[in-house]
Amino acid sequence: MALIELQDVSKLYGFGDATTLALDEVTITIEKGEFVAVMGPSGCGKSTLLNMIGLLDRPSHGQYHLEGKPVARLTPNVAAKIRRDKIGFIFQSYNLLPRLTALENVALPLGYKGVPLSKRLKTASQMLERVGVQNREYYLPGQLSGGQAQCVTIARALVNNPRLIIADEPTGNLDSSSSRLVMELLSDIHKMGNTVIFVTHNPELTRFATRVIYMHDGSIIHDERTVVGQVASTARKVLYTVPATSEEDDLAGVSVLMKALPDKPPSPPKKTVRKSTSRRRQVARRGRRTRT
Amino acid sequence: MIFSQGHLKAGLNSVRSAKLRSFWTMLGVIIGVAAVITVIGIGDGVKKQIAGQIHSLGNNFITIRPQSLQTGSITANQAGLLSGLSLSGPLTVNDISTVTTTRGVSQSAPLTLTSGTVRSGQVVYRDGDVIGTTPDLPSLINQSLATGTFLNSQNYGDHVAVLGQNAAISLFSNPQPLGHSFTFHGQTFVVIGIFNQFNTTPLSGQVDFNNAIFIPNNVAESLTNNTAPTYEMFARAATVSQTKAVASRIKKRLDAEHGGQSGLAVLVGNQNLAVNDSILSLLTKLVAGVAAISLLVGGIGIMNVMLVSVAERTHEIGIRKAVGATDMQILSQFMIEATVLSLSGGVIGVILAYIIDLVLHATTDLQPNISWQVVAEITLITLFIGIVFGSVPALKAARRNPIDALRTE
Repeated sequence: MALIELQDVSKLYGFGDATTLALDEVTITIEKGEFVAVMGPSGCGKSTLLNMIGLLDRPSHGQYHLEGKPVARLTPNVAAKIRRDKIGFIFQSYNLLPRLTALENVALPLGYKGVPLSKRLKTASQMLERVGVQNREYYLPGQLSGGQAQCVTIARALVNNPRLIIADEPTGNLDSSSSRLVMELLSDIHKMGNTVIFVTHNPELTRFATRVIYMHDGSIIHDERTVVGQVASTARKVLYTVPATSEEDDLAGVSVLMKALPDKPPSPPKKTVRKSTSRRRQVARRGRRTRT
Repeated sequence: MIFSQGHLKAGLNSVRSAKLRSFWTMLGVIIGVAAVITVIGIGDGVKKQIAGQIHSLGNNFITIRPQSLQTGSITANQAGLLSGLSLSGPLTVNDISTVTTTRGVSQSAPLTLTSGTVRSGQVVYRDGDVIGTTPDLPSLINQSLATGTFLNSQNYGDHVAVLGQNAAISLFSNPQPLGHSFTFHGQTFVVIGIFNQFNTTPLSGQVDFNNAIFIPNNVAESLTNNTAPTYEMFARAATVSQTKAVASRIKKRLDAEHGGQSGLAVLVGNQNLAVNDSILSLLTKLVAGVAAISLLVGGIGIMNVMLVSVAERTHEIGIRKAVGATDMQILSQFMIEATVLSLSGGVIGVILAYIIDLVLHATTDLQPNISWQVVAEITLITLFIGIVFGSVPALKAARRNPIDALRTE
């Protein structure tokens, strides 16, 4: 049984003419123990996909099975409990509560689980030790460096022993040495049997992943299994070829990555819009027919 | 269960981290609570003072006054003199003698309102009333004279008068006008005594004894052909133990004379308070009600600040929800925060009320009396206010969609 099964999941924002399609009928299966890197240009739906998988957001259409259970239409409270017990979040901007110390931040998910105070502080302390920032327990997030703050976030994500770790550009705000530290931590988590999904713009970091997914305009355009320790083949092309970007390409949102993709050409955005609108028209027509 | 989840701490933390704002938020509740407690305390204190004075009159003190309060069937005469309290009918001359002659009554004094113009030279006295009474009055109400003598058995029936202090000053511009005279109903009255200042006159009804002119009751009756209304009568039983028996004997005899229905009340001890008490309670309730409105406004202030706080901390709500806080847990966090605000406002208000109480005790004659029941009630009310006005912002916070909340900075 796959850990994550998305089937035709779409996410629409806005109404009427202002509707934007953030995810367009995405179908993907992620097995337990995978270490997935999600890549793609800004606004391609990476974060939306991660939020969907992390039950922070609900799909507009489609099915989502987490550990075989349908979770696409959960009530907010049930979703909150699943997030608490099964999913750990790591954000680009850390999202630590500024008024709580590092220790209290890490203990927060345990608090919502109902663990007694002394026990949750002890567990949080152990977790901080594991990520190597035990000497910063009583610092406020504002007093920590970016790398340390991200380590605290990782500790918070791990504290409830989740099966799934979701990291939205965990290294986005970090320098290269902190990035490596954070990626090594994620790697360790993965080695202990957890499933990790992370978003990155840095092709070099696909080295840590077992699978790389490329997205564009709300669709998955390329899905590649890689060997740990090697940069993904497509990503390597980006990395080692001098990108010849033109201004027109930049304006059109065509990234270097897109050009480096091998066989499948990206589906043009127009087509996806047509797809959904034509479906809607069909439904409308059908409706009319039944009425007459 | 709520407390084990650290919501109390979260609530306290956010109150502590914005001390100044929290204080301004609480100020409404603080003022409201302090005002309500102080007003009720003053009302209670005054009640106690009056009760104390009546107690000082002695346990054998009896008052006789018309019982029912009616608005109809009053003469113009009475209406003018007894505005506000309309009586079923005053005591008659017969009633007075009945009371006086009842077995066990050692002293008695009627208070008879005598209408007419008091004149001294060019001065016409309008500030007070002329009251017909008997020589027993000063000893009955424990009132001493500043100078001169009161009515006594020798001069009872003569045209003599004893004045309250204010009356003496406004009539003769002289605090001790012994031997001066004034005219009343065409008769000349000689001033033979001046009362000391009456501190409070709990049983004087609508009449201020400091402004009053006291003349012998038989003179008052004869000048008005027995039409002057006796609105109240004081009496004292010979022995304390007999007081109740004497009172009921008086009541029985009065009823018998009026054919079973005298409409007169014979009151002993604290029963005397009844009328004063109800008016005072009403006033206290009224002012406390106004003060309670400020408590309500304080509650609305808390709601306002909480709404701002929820808007400001949308990102925090997003984070908390992302790591697994349920709607209920977010709700209780903000509810506790609002309750902590209003409750600490209540506690500070109570402390403030006690300080005001001390200041009033030290600087004025008022002796406010703060009872723990009132304090407990007010504390419960502030708790209630916190819950009621905290629920709207807390619900708003709890219903935030986690992903939208996270996106807000």
